[in-house]
Amino acid sequence: MTIANRRWSIPFLVWIAIGTIIPLLSIVYYGLTSRTGGLTFQNITAILEHDNLQALGLSLGLSVLSTLICLIIAFPMAMILANSKYGKQGFLIFVFILPMWMNFLLRTMAWQVLLERNGVINALLTTFGLPRQELMNTPGAVVLGMVYDFLPFMILPIYNAVVKIDKHLVEAARDLGAGKLKVYTKVVLPLTVPGIVSGITMVFIPALTTFAISNMLGGGKINLIGNIIEQEFTVNTNWYLGSGMSLVMMVFIIASMLLLNKFDKTGGASLL
Amino acid sequence: MKKTISYIYVGLVMLFLYLPIFALIVLSFNEAKSMSVWTGFSLQWYQELFHNRLLMSAVGNTFSIAILASLIATIIGTTAVIGLSAMRPKSQNVVLGFNNIPMLNADIVTGISLMLFFLLLHIPQGYGTILFAHVTFSIPYVVLSVRPRMNRKTDRLYEAAMDLGASKRYAFRKIVIPELMPGILSGFLLSFTMSVDDFIITYFTRGAGINTISTIIYSQVKVGIRPSLFALSTLIFVIAFVALLVVNFKSNKEEEVA
Amino acid sequence: MAELIRLENISKSFGDNLVLDELNLTVNENEFVTLLGPSGCGKTTTLRIIGGFEKPDVGQVFFEGNDITALPPNQRHLNTVFQNYALFPHMNVGENIAFGLKVSGKSDQYIKDKVKYALNLVNLKGFEKRLITELSGGQQQRIAMARAIVNEPRVLLLDEPLGALDLKLRQEMQYELVRLKKELGITFIYVTHDQEEALTMSDKVVVMNNGYIQQEGTPEQIYNEPENAFVADFIGDSNIVSGRMVRDNVVEIKGTEFPCIDGAKDGFMPGQPVDVVIRPEDIEIRPYGEGLFNGEIVSKIFIGVHYEMLVKGEPSGFEWLLQNYDEHSVGSKIGMYVRPENIQIMKKPEYDDEKAMELDI
Repeated sequence: MTIANRRWSIPFLVWIAIGTIIPLLSIVYYGLTSRTGGLTFQNITAILEHDNLQALGLSLGLSVLSTLICLIIAFPMAMILANSKYGKQGFLIFVFILPMWMNFLLRTMAWQVLLERNGVINALLTTFGLPRQELMNTPGAVVLGMVYDFLPFMILPIYNAVVKIDKHLVEAARDLGAGKLKVYTKVVLPLTVPGIVSGITMVFIPALTTFAISNMLGGGKINLIGNIIEQEFTVNTNWYLGSGMSLVMMVFIIASMLLLNKFDKTGGASLL
Repeated sequence: MKKTISYIYVGLVMLFLYLPIFALIVLSFNEAKSMSVWTGFSLQWYQELFHNRLLMSAVGNTFSIAILASLIATIIGTTAVIGLSAMRPKSQNVVLGFNNIPMLNADIVTGISLMLFFLLLHIPQGYGTILFAHVTFSIPYVVLSVRPRMNRKTDRLYEAAMDLGASKRYAFRKIVIPELMPGILSGFLLSFTMSVDDFIITYFTRGAGINTISTIIYSQVKVGIRPSLFALSTLIFVIAFVALLVVNFKSNKEEEVA
Repeated sequence: MAELIRLENISKSFGDNLVLDELNLTVNENEFVTLLGPSGCGKTTTLRIIGGFEKPDVGQVFFEGNDITALPPNQRHLNTVFQNYALFPHMNVGENIAFGLKVSGKSDQYIKDKVKYALNLVNLKGFEKRLITELSGGQQQRIAMARAIVNEPRVLLLDEPLGALDLKLRQEMQYELVRLKKELGITFIYVTHDQEEALTMSDKVVVMNNGYIQQEGTPEQIYNEPENAFVADFIGDSNIVSGRMVRDNVVEIKGTEFPCIDGAKDGFMPGQPVDVVIRPEDIEIRPYGEGLFNGEIVSKIFIGVHYEMLVKGEPSGFEWLLQNYDEHSVGSKIGMYVRPENIQIMKKPEYDDEKAMELDI
């Protein structure tokens, strides 16, 4: 017996059509239309222009780097959390969720305060008689901001995957003669792959597409693909070019998702 | 030995996460405007914060949009789940695939896609467009939190109520809705926090002259950081801390009962 | 006994999967009927059609001669005890039991008395205010019973109600169910895959497989006179072998001729290939050479009351399953004897709808 009629989902289907599908199609429409009207691929091929290409390259580079750093910090963290008695009671998890509840702009601003020429770190340096450093407006500052903002999004999915691992599996592996290292590489790690994959997705995509972090910590000197798109929409009001750039960016998003999905499906065997 | 290393590790990561926030909290009580010199305790930045009419109206917008958007999204998402259960599994998967798009999509893409949509239809951007956008990205979270509750067990309970003589309407109201309620509530809360926290999508769908907390922070930071923003950070941190504590405490209690 | 429920020509499929195929079944007033079969045999679907939770694609359901096929569950004079009980988790025990009475608009005093009576009946006096989550599986089972019977249904439908309980509790509840049935004086339709449950409690057992009724009868008939290989195999342990009728009252199995009590009068012609069922406890052990046939014991286990043995028959090499109270050592050669009335002879399946009777083990 079914509880209700299919008709109940009509408002939802309509909303999805109007709020998601048609808007996405409008990106495609604008991306393939020239400013004067008519089909064109110029908005897409514009990615090959020096500035745009450089922005895309920098975006990819910085987001891959910050994703890697997040992964390296998060994996041991998740393991420790999963094995600690505080972790299970939610206290440590609480500690890692809390920053996520604070607006990421304020968190990014906090690093601005620390890194500024007249900021906290430089004040400390001068107290110890050391020279001031130009910390802001560097690629390093942007990576730092990305890692800081997105680290919890890497820790939690991996933690959730580790916690779900049946402890008997580890015992079974030990029982079958696997050493501690073998247990990790052959049992624990493959089972955390789904967590790692969703962690990577949750860090890489926002990092690749950000414009706020690079604006705040890059001071307009670090131009990422997100900044290019944002400027086309808000400053230059060239939505056609902005849409074209977005389409290019979406290709990279979709490609990265497909790639990650592949790892997930093979049960992580290819990761080792 | 191993324990010590892991404690140090946890400590370092926590330091990394919280040091910047604590710097903001300390500076929010600093008398001077400086970001590096402590001149004395003061609450003047809090005063400035509360007298900032622009910011206060942004706070109002943020919460009214969040409440309205999550209410609408909760209703649409919940009815969607109920309707979905009457579909064939294949159609369900197709619909859920579409449902996932706003969640998987980068926020900037969702934001500009909605902006273009409004431009195409010549819809003036403002409060309404932000609300529409927030409902759009909230619905998937409601669907994903309510759907697991709409399972075989719910079907059986509904049948049991019918078996005991209840009408469809009565069984739905007295049995199905209470059974879905935990999912509906968590969907609402999730939508609410996503809405309050959103910057990117709001940034592209708002019109001139309307702000939420996020957009006002962004525009003020770009002009120059004032310590009143530190005061705002401190307040948000404290509110988040208390809210999370309550949620955590409640879910711990529920686990004990179950 | 008067006819109460009749299913006529019921067919039902889910997608491409045909679950019930032209099923006919009659349930009489005050009968304890059990639908027995392996998972996927259609027994639960049959029950759900009677309850009104599924609509048959074809066919009709009659209740006291009236067609109720289109009637929704809330308008049928029957109540269900669901698998896993389906107790409302957000209500306490009393509210659960009172649900049906409240819906039908009974007075508060009546409801209160009735809940009390029902809790007494299932031996859970004073449980009104308990939460469902505080109850053990056995208690939940009793509450599910109480919730159904307060509505004074004409028929109680029970969908594997004991499936989630452990063995000891299950046996206790079997007695309890029989007692309740007697006290209430109503009809029970019971679904289970457990043959022991079916044989202990029922007045009538309906064995199902692949959407067909394989055999209907009293527990004794089902056990002693299985009509086909499926029933024989599903109910208890048995030796099922191919044989051939030699003449009236003689069947040949694995090269040995056995006296039996079937013949042309039962439709078995000389030379006709047949399936033969011999229960392991019906093979008697005699000294070597003094039975109908001989064999050598190849394995033996003790299973409580008796020993179970595998005996390699001579000269066929077919391994017979035997049960015997006496111990015989592995390797010893024995003679074996089967009384003619203990040899159950069955037709081999030939028609399409008899295919289901073949063993798919």
